[in-house]
Amino acid sequence: MLDAITNYLHSNATPGEAGSMLWATIYILIIVIGISLAVIAMNWLERKILAHMQIRLGPMRVGPHGLLQPFADALKLLIKEDIIPENADKLVFWSAPVVVTMTAFTTFLVVPFGREHAVTDMNIGILFMLGVSSLGVLGIIMAGWSSNSHYPLMGSLRSSAQMVSYEIAMGLAIVCAVLMTSLQTGTGTLSMIGIVEAQAQQQTWFIFKMFPLGFLAFAIFAIAMVAETNRAPFDLPEAESELVAGFHTEYSGFRWSLFFLAEYAAMLAVSSIAVTLWLGGWMRPFPNWLNGGAWGLAFSFFPALTLFVLAGLCLLGAVRMPKIPQMKIQTAGLTMFGLLLGFIGLVLLAPGVRERVQDIYWFVVKVAFFMYLYIWYRGTFPRYRFDQLMKVGWKVLLPTGLGVLIATALWGLMPQISSSVARGLGVLP
Amino acid sequence: MSLSPLIRKILLVDLVKGLKVTFKYQPPSEAVTEQYPLERPVIYERYRGQPRLKVDPESGHSMCIVCNLCALACPEQLIVVKGERNPVTKRKEPVSWSYDLSRCMFCGLCAEACSTGALELSQDYEMALYSREGMVLDQAALERGPEPVQYVK
Amino acid sequence: MSDFENDYRHAKPGQSGPGIVDYLDLETKDQTYLDATELVLNMGPQHPSTHGVLRVILKLDGEKVLGTECVIGYLHRGVEKIAENRTYAMFNPYVDRMDYVAAVSNGLGYCEAVEKLLNAEAPPRAQYIRVILTELCRIASHQVWLGTHALDIGALTPLFYCFRDREEILKIFEKYCGARLTTHAFRIGGCIYEAYDGFEQDCLKFCEHFLPKLNEYEELLTTNRIWVRRTKGVGILKPEDCIALGVTGPVLRASGVKWDLRKAQPYEAYKNFEFEIPTGVNGDTYDRYLVRIEEMRQSVRIIRQAVEGLPTGPIMAKIPKVLKPPVGEIYHSIEAPKGELGYFIVSDGSTQPYRVRVRPPSFVNLQALDKMVRGLLVADVVAVIGTLDIVLGEVDR
Repeated sequence: MLDAITNYLHSNATPGEAGSMLWATIYILIIVIGISLAVIAMNWLERKILAHMQIRLGPMRVGPHGLLQPFADALKLLIKEDIIPENADKLVFWSAPVVVTMTAFTTFLVVPFGREHAVTDMNIGILFMLGVSSLGVLGIIMAGWSSNSHYPLMGSLRSSAQMVSYEIAMGLAIVCAVLMTSLQTGTGTLSMIGIVEAQAQQQTWFIFKMFPLGFLAFAIFAIAMVAETNRAPFDLPEAESELVAGFHTEYSGFRWSLFFLAEYAAMLAVSSIAVTLWLGGWMRPFPNWLNGGAWGLAFSFFPALTLFVLAGLCLLGAVRMPKIPQMKIQTAGLTMFGLLLGFIGLVLLAPGVRERVQDIYWFVVKVAFFMYLYIWYRGTFPRYRFDQLMKVGWKVLLPTGLGVLIATALWGLMPQISSSVARGLGVLP
Repeated sequence: MSLSPLIRKILLVDLVKGLKVTFKYQPPSEAVTEQYPLERPVIYERYRGQPRLKVDPESGHSMCIVCNLCALACPEQLIVVKGERNPVTKRKEPVSWSYDLSRCMFCGLCAEACSTGALELSQDYEMALYSREGMVLDQAALERGPEPVQYVK
Repeated sequence: MSDFENDYRHAKPGQSGPGIVDYLDLETKDQTYLDATELVLNMGPQHPSTHGVLRVILKLDGEKVLGTECVIGYLHRGVEKIAENRTYAMFNPYVDRMDYVAAVSNGLGYCEAVEKLLNAEAPPRAQYIRVILTELCRIASHQVWLGTHALDIGALTPLFYCFRDREEILKIFEKYCGARLTTHAFRIGGCIYEAYDGFEQDCLKFCEHFLPKLNEYEELLTTNRIWVRRTKGVGILKPEDCIALGVTGPVLRASGVKWDLRKAQPYEAYKNFEFEIPTGVNGDTYDRYLVRIEEMRQSVRIIRQAVEGLPTGPIMAKIPKVLKPPVGEIYHSIEAPKGELGYFIVSDGSTQPYRVRVRPPSFVNLQALDKMVRGLLVADVVAVIGTLDIVLGEVDR
């Protein structure tokens, strides 16, 4: 039993490769808890950042600077009355949020947080992620249908039409990136860890490769992923100021929070795809230009540094709190939170921990950057009308994606094409 | 389409301009929120708020001489004043005052019409009550002013 | 039959068919969504985007709108009836409550109408102060319009930016007359409040601080491709239709008709100022947006000129305390931010008017909704209602 545990720790492999069920389960639990924590943090961050972009403050009362707001929201949703429409199809109504949430969470099985920090490294990793997230569309249709009301039905049909159209553009962009993995070795790979290793081998992130094709593919994917997750500016199906209120109208309380969870988990999942495919996954910035032990050491301090900066912000906020007796508990809470963050930062300074945390940290930072982009888009752009949305998906992104795909393929085959042309012309033997 | 607008269209320049504007306003110093009740707003002098009856500081009597001009000026006719002549000072003094705050629209015509400047609309705005009974103000309430309950967190 | 006549075919009883909207039949049996030809949808009085309690019954074919019917009256408070039982000076505070977003212009229109009836005129200083406050009110009203219109189309942030600027204007109002929203700023015969110390500085500071912000809003929206796609070509109103329907204000000017009461029938001190009337070309939502933004810039121009040229002197004309206008009637209209706001007052010689009829710009502009929305998608109906800039307080009175 102990052997089973330690055997895995000595092997430099994911639990899937090592065949260890116990560690796979542990990793899955860690990922589920991690996603939930990430969704909680996203909830708070979205409200605060969106508020600051709108020159207001956001939640300030619930905890110090609103830090306990997500917990208050979660608690409120849990204790709400569970309303089911009268003639709703009960089984489908119950299972729709389950389907959406499960598909969103299942995609995280192959997301590589580090070289050996994935649950498993399927050799069809990216295909698996795309396929499972497509199943989420089924959940949305189920939700709209079972609500027995024509607003949710229209909303869910629109939402699913949108998601399906943009999956095509996403798929084309993904194929471009997968093609690039075969440039050096001659054989490409669909496995997520393999794609990041290909970037490490070729010594560039794919976003900079074959400029501007890599960047174009990334841009297509970045736009398609925003539309895939029904976020601004493509959020017509769930906008409040339109007539159709969206597929989750009839859902209240915990069922609605499952949809909410699934939406943020899907956002995290597609951001992870973008990070893995184009932004180098878990690699730290400039691994080749700034290589060497000293640079590696310097970059390894970043996780602790980030946590110290966050702790500093908390303590600064605590110092700036109004000094009236009503705010004493909040100030104390914020100070303790700041100290906790500082303590975790200190833990991350320890040499043993530093190496292990590196990969995960850089991956999380890159995904966090995408989350910030999501919030930024929501605060800035107006909404596309539904027909314009579909036009963008089919008439702009799809042809561009095809073009980029063909151009990538031609560029990649250029050495072979030119050598065979030269041989044919007699220039080369 | 000529080259420059085409490039601007492909590079999404218009969208980036919008993103720059919202990015600029992020620092908390740009937020214009006033966190009531911790921070109270600045109320200016001419604000038309809670009506008050002024009391002459030296004699302690009300400055109202029951001329009834305020009642005549009010569009909603919600002021009812009754007074009687004080034989000593040869002035009319108010016996009963009734000001129906629930129908008042704070137009200020009564304060404008007041001949002695006794009735004024002060700067108090926290007039919330739990029931309608407290909304008809009598002379004591008008002289006292509102006493809002300050909530301790 | 002209195009206008064609579209408004009123059905005879029993007649039906595609394109004929029989207004009596819009509310009959419940049509389920399975009937793919026509759906009657009720955008009810409680709706986040109808700018008040407006009920719009839409007849849809899938997503395209075949016809609309507006049901109003949810905010009717009988203001015109109230006027018959109040004296002229007493009615002044009620007028602010009609277009509650731009209360100062309502007061201006009423005071001017009664002054015309009395053959009196406000002294020059009062006129200048009135112009300054009215133009500030125009900017404030357009800010509300911009924020809510952008919000309906999906851009969440311009609302907050616009209300921040409106806050500055409301502070000036509060300093001047004591109230932010229902200002009751003017009196018949002039102004009762003298410009407070620092009034000119506040106005100039606001103008200085506001113009760069307006450029920022333009950066956020005017060239934004999503905004342009949502608003260009949506809700086109041809100039002939505008004039036939009696539409006024920025809606009329965006269709290409250069008609602004401040230039056509100058009132107050507007003849002393130099400003331009922005007009549009196509009469679509985008043009109305551009026209209103440019109007805000011209308002700033007027405010600057007025503050610099503010004369000294009395602020109240010599009119009797008890107002008994001579028997007669008068119609006087001003260019309110939303269009032509007119007051028709009939006086029978007593202290209370015999009849006050208000011509609200939003009420007349709302009639153009049906014309503008035919053939558009449901999502555009919200944009078109927003672009008409209606305030239900005015529509219903």
